[in-house]
Amino acid sequence: MSAAREMLCDTARAAFAEAATAGMTPVEEAGFALLLVPEGEGGFGGDWGDVNAVLQIAGAMVPDLPIAARIAPEGLQAAATISLMAGAMGAALALSIEHVNTRQQFGRPLGKFQAVQQSLAVMACEVRAVEAAAAALAARLDVVGRDPVAADFEIAAAKLRANRAVGVVTSIAHQVHGAIGFTREYALNRVTIPLMRWRGEHGNDAHWAARLGRQVAGLGGQGLWAAMTERSDKNRML
Amino acid sequence: MQGFALYPFDPPGDVAALRGELRGWLAANQPTGDIVARANCWASFDPDFSRALGGAGYIGMTLPSRYGGGDRHPLERYVVIEELLAAGAPVGAHWIADRQTGPLILRYGSEEQRQRYLPGIARGELYACIGLSEPGAGSDLAAVRTAARETADGWRINGQKIWTTGAHLSHIMLALVRTEEGSERNAGLSQLLIDLDTPGITIRPIIDMAGRHDFNEVFFDDVLVPHGALVGERGQGWKQVTAELGLERSGPERYLSSHALLVALIDAAGPDPAPPVAALIGELSAELWTLRQLSMSTAAKLAAGEDPMVEASVVKELGNAFEQDMPRRVQAIVDCPWDDASDLGRLLRALLIASPSFSLRGGTREVIRGIIARGLGLR
Repeated sequence: MSAAREMLCDTARAAFAEAATAGMTPVEEAGFALLLVPEGEGGFGGDWGDVNAVLQIAGAMVPDLPIAARIAPEGLQAAATISLMAGAMGAALALSIEHVNTRQQFGRPLGKFQAVQQSLAVMACEVRAVEAAAAALAARLDVVGRDPVAADFEIAAAKLRANRAVGVVTSIAHQVHGAIGFTREYALNRVTIPLMRWRGEHGNDAHWAARLGRQVAGLGGQGLWAAMTERSDKNRML
Repeated sequence: MQGFALYPFDPPGDVAALRGELRGWLAANQPTGDIVARANCWASFDPDFSRALGGAGYIGMTLPSRYGGGDRHPLERYVVIEELLAAGAPVGAHWIADRQTGPLILRYGSEEQRQRYLPGIARGELYACIGLSEPGAGSDLAAVRTAARETADGWRINGQKIWTTGAHLSHIMLALVRTEEGSERNAGLSQLLIDLDTPGITIRPIIDMAGRHDFNEVFFDDVLVPHGALVGERGQGWKQVTAELGLERSGPERYLSSHALLVALIDAAGPDPAPPVAALIGELSAELWTLRQLSMSTAAKLAAGEDPMVEASVVKELGNAFEQDMPRRVQAIVDCPWDDASDLGRLLRALLIASPSFSLRGGTREVIRGIIARGLGLR
């Protein structure tokens, strides 16, 4: 990660920590609405890689605040939601790891039990997949000037993949937490409820699967691979 | 484990041109035979094809030219192998030698070993198998018991390997053996490079549930190999093998084994598929695209000299699940009798039967998940 993006992330963490109790004011004061506005127009001049990084932090820390709506244009709200989802899933994983390494039953931490280890490995794979999808989509959007039409394949694939991870991630996170994770007080529901909500927003599984499926059917069997490689080779060249 | 940042996949040169050249070469040289051979194609042995591919410079690409290699970047090789797999080319004969034995000989081998073996590997003429599993050492690899004792004449080997893919078609085996008498677990192990025509070696077939002869039992009865058969450092076999497995787990073969079925499904569905079929194609395409990003990123990390053991395991776990899931989901949606003679039907049947092996070979699902769990800080 570049030094500029590291700084941006530090700023986001500080502003979102305040925003958790104060609402949107600290987010506005820190200027996040200007993240994508060009420097020449008084903005930060950020790219979608920056948006992805900031929204992952928002998804983990303040998933209920309308930060994506302030940063990203209307046509890219599905893309923005994928970053929020990746961040919230990362937070659910971190909480789960912390819990199983701390909570003792049968005289040892839960994380020592193979059944728990295997569950968390499954969950981690899903989280990594969504993080990768969000990052690859960001790379595509930055190559095509944030044109949602030119990134239609990637938006559909990434949102669909993220949606499909929600069930696995939320159910394993809650399962390894036991009853404490089901309480209002404990932090887990503050990311799992938003994840359940985001799965249905800006296109549920059926919406994106039908759309991507029709697009791929139009490409033909060999055409899928040809299109996928052409798109990623182009990402690289530009 | 830290959050997953995508490592930029940035091979030198014109990648699109490299792809284009290879696609042109394949159009002229890929056998047009049985469509079923295009599925799980890195288990399809075709020495003629391997020789032609080697002759065209697509094997041993990353080896130095003084050993017959192509001096190419590891990510250029990645582009080539993902193209070969997506096309379903029969790459099985040279696959293991190209993927792991060649690089391992280059890294740990003696100058003599490099000169002796690498040019043949790069020509697509010298094939290798991996001698790891034994009857008592499957997932528990550190239980290896096959013994090699150093004598005045060389290493004397006694023991048995099993599940050795392609041993009957290979020239050499890179074997993990116990060189220190009385040693336990992962200490006292070394790697030996064994010419398979050495007297005392018996190779017996094991026919798999698909009726194929891919793997074998290999017996060593007082087999004498020269001192120079030792690869790398004596007693460091465990470390060397672990590094080798990183090369084995994250490649595109972990999510492209069933690609021929996806191609056939899309072609059979036509441009205007019924809604359930369109949805299935959409879901499979999304998973394929995501897996490719993960695999490319892991390859880039490997190429940069890092050791992405956990990421490699994530690719294998998700890739295996995808490849196993695909034939089952296709069968659930497409009406296709068991003895259907269409491309789709034959591929479907072959992959339903072959796919249980996907989460066994190269480390079982349970072992792979254990590695991921350790990476998460559990255990």
